[in-house]
Amino acid sequence: MASSSSGLTFKLHPLVIVNISDHYTRLKSQPNPPLAPHCSSSDGSSSATASSSAVPAPRVYGCVIGVQRGRTVEIFNSFELLFDPVTHILDRNFLEKKQELYKKVFPNFYVLGWYSTGSDAEESDMHIHKALMDINESPVYVLLNPLINPAQKDLPITIFESEMHVIDGVPQLIFVRASYTIETVEAERISVDHVAHLKPSDGGSAATQLAAHLTGMHSAIKMLNSRVRVLHHYLVAMQKGEIPCDNSLLRQVSSLLRRLPVIESGKFQDDFLMEYNDTLLITYLAMLTNCSSTMNDLVDKFNTAYDRVSRRGGRAAFI
Amino acid sequence: MALQNLVTQIQALSGSAEDLHQLHSILKAADEPLHADPPRLSSLLDQLEPARHSLGYLYILEAFSSVSVPKEQANAMVLTIVRFINGCDGQQTRLAPDKFVTICRRLKDQVLLLEAPLRGVYPMLSALRKFPMSSEHLTSLHPEFLLLCLLSKSYKIGLSILDNDIYEVDQPRDLFLYCYYGGMICIGQKHFQKALELLRNVITAPMNAINPIVVEAYKKYILVSLIRNGQFSASLPKYASSAAQRSLKTFCQPYVELANTYGNGKVKELEAYVQANTEKFESDNNLGLAKQVLSSMYKRSIQRLILTYLTLSLQDIADAVQLKTLKEAEIHILQMIQDGEIFASINQKDGMVSFLEDPEQYKSNDMIEHIDSSIQRMMALWKKLASMDEVMSYDPQYLGKVGRERQKFDMDDFDAVPQKFTA
Repeated sequence: MASSSSGLTFKLHPLVIVNISDHYTRLKSQPNPPLAPHCSSSDGSSSATASSSAVPAPRVYGCVIGVQRGRTVEIFNSFELLFDPVTHILDRNFLEKKQELYKKVFPNFYVLGWYSTGSDAEESDMHIHKALMDINESPVYVLLNPLINPAQKDLPITIFESEMHVIDGVPQLIFVRASYTIETVEAERISVDHVAHLKPSDGGSAATQLAAHLTGMHSAIKMLNSRVRVLHHYLVAMQKGEIPCDNSLLRQVSSLLRRLPVIESGKFQDDFLMEYNDTLLITYLAMLTNCSSTMNDLVDKFNTAYDRVSRRGGRAAFI
Repeated sequence: MALQNLVTQIQALSGSAEDLHQLHSILKAADEPLHADPPRLSSLLDQLEPARHSLGYLYILEAFSSVSVPKEQANAMVLTIVRFINGCDGQQTRLAPDKFVTICRRLKDQVLLLEAPLRGVYPMLSALRKFPMSSEHLTSLHPEFLLLCLLSKSYKIGLSILDNDIYEVDQPRDLFLYCYYGGMICIGQKHFQKALELLRNVITAPMNAINPIVVEAYKKYILVSLIRNGQFSASLPKYASSAAQRSLKTFCQPYVELANTYGNGKVKELEAYVQANTEKFESDNNLGLAKQVLSSMYKRSIQRLILTYLTLSLQDIADAVQLKTLKEAEIHILQMIQDGEIFASINQKDGMVSFLEDPEQYKSNDMIEHIDSSIQRMMALWKKLASMDEVMSYDPQYLGKVGRERQKFDMDDFDAVPQKFTA
């Protein structure tokens, strides 16, 4: 897949990404996921949960809409579409109805293309692409890769355009990748920020300010430690005689040492340890509170699920 | 003959994991004929080694010991079983857990028959080290082991097993018995805090109906909580099952009244009450504990004095606490200082006791390590709790009940929560 040469710049809004991933997640967590069109149908709902791990992940389909101003294509929103696995085309009726509804609210938006999930574009996607060509003569194809790859740093989203290329003497329409940028409106920025801070994952990047500050300090101290270690190693080697004595370096080291703050009195040690222990105690208290709160939730859930006699108090209807 | 074939097969197939599976199925098939003629099996046992052929040895040994033996042969039986347990390979025995548990139970019965429970303690300890998947797993062996410890009064060995945290349980009855015996062992060693925790586990374990273990545990729980904390709250924590909350108090009436009398703070009344109900306490084997409750009454009174006075003479203390002589007061206070329950110093010349502050300043390096290790433990515990919470959230019974409850709540916020989660 060559890269695009059409010169169009694509701008993608986060809302589209969230929509696509939400659609995919919803479909995946249902007990009877509709199977991807190119697989043979397996047994029914009774073994759905067992088969969903063996069956490849369901693909979702939908339409993206936005504005095209000159050479800039800005994709604002998206909606879902039904895919008919028998005829391999998207539901046209539904698309047109939705298009009309959206036109009423956003008169500027046009259907710019369609989206789907998967790891790479496939040949069968070309049919859908061609079918959409009568609405928009050059639709875009937004592909989301739902497989989570922790090593990957950027978004698993690719935007494809179609170009007419001559292959083996036959002019064919193929998908070419296009680069894109993410464009955010203030409202989108706030909501994305909110979602990102909602649940800092284990081992994930520091999501809170305090954690970021402490991580910065930690890496600074680690670097200082490694530098001091290098110096120490060098001095020890010099002492043993492995390296010729460099007096200017020794002078520099001694002046550095003299610049260090030297407070070694007992009172300092006492105060320092007391403050250190206070901070540790506060951390301990925070952990205790955290644990108690989780335990409380767990006990509540357990009681609702398994206790025969449900709790009577506080269930008056709020009118 | 067929049994000899079996022996050769065992010797051949005790190597790798696939062989073991094959051997296991052969042994399962051969179980019936083995049980048919137990006494002949002892000759077979001599041909096998417990360490390498643990699985085969286990099956044959179990069949061999299934018949009840007279007292003279019990000794030989015990020796065979002990040799097996000491030599066996944990991985192989885990393939047939119920057989292993049966054997250990037979061992316990035999040593009880011989009236030498101490002989069974060390073999069971080594069995416990080898058999469970990890130290966090509670098997049926644990309560048997604790029972043997209790009967042979070797409490310290039992304590070492009790220190493990438990995250998985094989059978609910195991948990009840384990915590109950564990509580008794801790009471024997005077670790009242740990005893309280274990007994509380028994009372608040999820259950549909009361069983006698829980009732006994509740009685001991009341007494230990009076000794340790000086008070007893009659309401059970909210994680206790509803069955327990409803019926426990009716079964333990005398103890609840004892707690109420304790709360009044008058030693004479308490003594009179204990005297009156001696047979009841006696029948539950709790008389020793009840007497300890009495003596702890004095401790409470002394501790109340600390809150009011900075120094006090021994005579005044004896009067306030209703002790008979100065000597007794001094003994009590010395005991409490030794246990670390109060901080005081006694001036021998004029018999004045001055109460001091807690000298711990939290300034030392040891304190740092102590707090740090507690924080680490807390973090590990929190991770486990969070994962349990997540598992609970997916639980279909919970989701079903939550879905039903929500609908009754907000009428105007009705957003069609699905009753069943189907597409």
